Amino acid sequence: MADLGNILLFFLFPASVFTALTALVAGITKRRGLLEAARRGAYVAFGVTTLAVLALEYLLITSDFSIEYVASNTNLALPFFYKIVALWAGHNGSLLLWTWIITVFSAMVAYQNRHKNNDLMPYVIFIMAATMVFFSTLSFFISNPFDTLYQELGNQLQEFAVRDGRGLNPLLQHPAMVIHPPILFIGYVGTVVPFAFAIAALITGKLDSDWTHTTRRWALTTWGFLAAGIVLGGKWAYVELGWGGYWSWDPVENASLLPWLTATAYLHSVMIQERKGMLKVWNMSLVISTYLLAVFGTFLTRSGVVSSVHAFSNSGLGPAFAIFLTIATIFSFALLLYRRKLLKPDEEMQSLVSRESSFLFNNLLFLLATIAVLWGTLFPAISELFSGDQITVGPPWFNNIMIPIGLALLLLTGVGPLLAWRHTSVETMKRSFGWPILGSIILVGILVGFGIRDGWSLGSFAISMFVMWTIVVEFVKGARIRSRHSGENLFKAVYMLSRKNTRRYGGYIIHASMVVMFIGFTGNAFNSETRAEVGEGDFFNLGPYTFTATQIHHSENENYSAETLELKMSRNNRIITTLRPEKRYYYASEQPSTEVDIYSTMREDIYTVLSGMSNDGERVIVQVYRNPFVKMVWLGSFILVFGTLFAMLPNLRESKTKNAVKSAAQGSQ
Amino acid sequence: MNNRYKFIVGTIVIISAVIVLAVQGLQDDSTMSYSKTVSEVQMLGERAKSLSLKVNGNLKKGSIIRNNLDLAFIITEGNSELQIHYIGKDPIPDTFNNDMDAEVVVSGRLAANGVFNAERIQAKCASKYEADYTSEPI
Repeated sequence: MADLGNILLFFLFPASVFTALTALVAGITKRRGLLEAARRGAYVAFGVTTLAVLALEYLLITSDFSIEYVASNTNLALPFFYKIVALWAGHNGSLLLWTWIITVFSAMVAYQNRHKNNDLMPYVIFIMAATMVFFSTLSFFISNPFDTLYQELGNQLQEFAVRDGRGLNPLLQHPAMVIHPPILFIGYVGTVVPFAFAIAALITGKLDSDWTHTTRRWALTTWGFLAAGIVLGGKWAYVELGWGGYWSWDPVENASLLPWLTATAYLHSVMIQERKGMLKVWNMSLVISTYLLAVFGTFLTRSGVVSSVHAFSNSGLGPAFAIFLTIATIFSFALLLYRRKLLKPDEEMQSLVSRESSFLFNNLLFLLATIAVLWGTLFPAISELFSGDQITVGPPWFNNIMIPIGLALLLLTGVGPLLAWRHTSVETMKRSFGWPILGSIILVGILVGFGIRDGWSLGSFAISMFVMWTIVVEFVKGARIRSRHSGENLFKAVYMLSRKNTRRYGGYIIHASMVVMFIGFTGNAFNSETRAEVGEGDFFNLGPYTFTATQIHHSENENYSAETLELKMSRNNRIITTLRPEKRYYYASEQPSTEVDIYSTMREDIYTVLSGMSNDGERVIVQVYRNPFVKMVWLGSFILVFGTLFAMLPNLRESKTKNAVKSAAQGSQ
Repeated sequence: MNNRYKFIVGTIVIISAVIVLAVQGLQDDSTMSYSKTVSEVQMLGERAKSLSLKVNGNLKKGSIIRNNLDLAFIITEGNSELQIHYIGKDPIPDTFNNDMDAEVVVSGRLAANGVFNAERIQAKCASKYEADYTSEPI
């Protein structure tokens, strides 16, 4: 099976080279037959890679420990489910997954466009296949997951197998980790589709809005997967790493945020291009940057350039990625420069207080956020270059910049959609913003009354209130007008209204999700924690809560042994719950693992960690964090995914009777 | 023209604000830490005490001493050694214990008495995880 996997993986290389070359020639000669051949090449590449993935899965499930990857990432006692997901637990396997996803996307794009975009498609397939060539090279020649274990005997290399594998890293044995990598990979790899269309448009000079229309759903899907992947990474860090937080501006976290920032900017600015024919060069730059940053993120995770809890150990792929990134960067921007004359705007900006300009400032802020995060992430490398000292900038530096930028962006989500295109009068602004502003002021008054003095937090809550208000008003206002004419009740009217313009109202739902998440982020300002050494019967306090250690016990199963602390949590002598933080020891990997226990409500998380233990096992050190509003972050991400899916629904067409109502309504205006 | 002017002014204001924030963040030396190895810290001499440091070294086997909430240990690189006193609040990482060959990164400051006060410990499991299979072929 390993040989079969190897053959399949090897075959991907000529298949992707063939696809890339045929597509390129098809583009130059404009011959339909060649395009058809390239399209079939993409299907074949997808087919062989799928089989290679299945071959590796077979080896993982049957525990073939003559394969290094299987022996390093699984063991016999590992639950079946984790054997399957071990496909992306290690560097080589996850690279194969990456490669597989790109073949899936290439095949999908080739199939979707089999009857359209015949001018663009050769180059689209070429770009995607070229990326495939790169990744298949890495996957087969440098980081092959089918490599067998061997040892030197005299002058000969001899293959051998081990009795049991090293097991899956305990940190990865968590449900969030199971879905986090594939989701993030889909987000990363998905950036190649808009990129391929953009480059194809640049090469062919067909720079109208065809490419933005074709890739709209792809861009949105990619964006949603990136967002979900980032949040899941945070969730994993939160429950698995045991330091009480979900985001630490770690280089790899930053690397996943970067393409998301530029993709968000693009989703906004592309609307300007569609409506006004402006910002064409800018949109191209954003699509190109998003792709490059996605590849850069993959590079950062695997090159050992930065150290991170999320990174794979140094894989030796650094130079290959550096070369690929350099070529892709120079090629894309040179092409953009060459075509700049064709990308002239159709219109000029008219007013500072208009929707266009709010989009413009939105993009400026996203760009600055991207540069800031990139700069901070690469600061160790930059400073070493200039001063010889490797200097790392910590989370305070990032927060110092990103909190103001984040709040400004949040404010824009409230202001922007209410501004009219071209120009908004002072009168309209008063009408739209008066009540929301008043609401925010009242909220701030109440919060100050409760003793909250932190300026940034008050600002964040005020802006959240303002934005949420304007969003709700948008829905209600539209629904009222609709129900007056159609006679639908308000809920039905909200539904019909949204379904008729899913992109707009899906966007509002996503804006609302950001508000919810920002409330969660703001909770960080009010975190508190304590640490105590306790034996059975001891107690300590945090805030209004009392924690009593009722029991410390030992247990074992075939995968690991565990020490568990039973911690009773009560308030005013009323028992709320019992928390059970654990320290586990996994036999196969010979690694300890801390399992936190969290009591989570909308208001706050009580997060407990068993951080240490005395030698006799009688006393333990327990750490308790009280983190307000963390659940809002997870809740917000669900709303975000919902909003993204909603925005992708096709707009509902009204039936004939409804149209009659509508024309009657128009007649009465 | 008037509008274009307003745009340029708005843009400049925003960009300058962000630059100010970035530079301001770099003035606060607690957010900036110098990455050094154990021997490099010793070569820095007195200057080391004025910097916020991230020191990379190997945990000396058996050097961990725990006393209630207190934790002290030694990290090494070649012949150089550095005494570490953990003063941080977060739980220490799982891979950090006495029988492990762990590569450790400690963040903190060097005190006047030459002991390094660490606020944060990151451990990388070095050789342990890169399996050495040759000992157990079938």
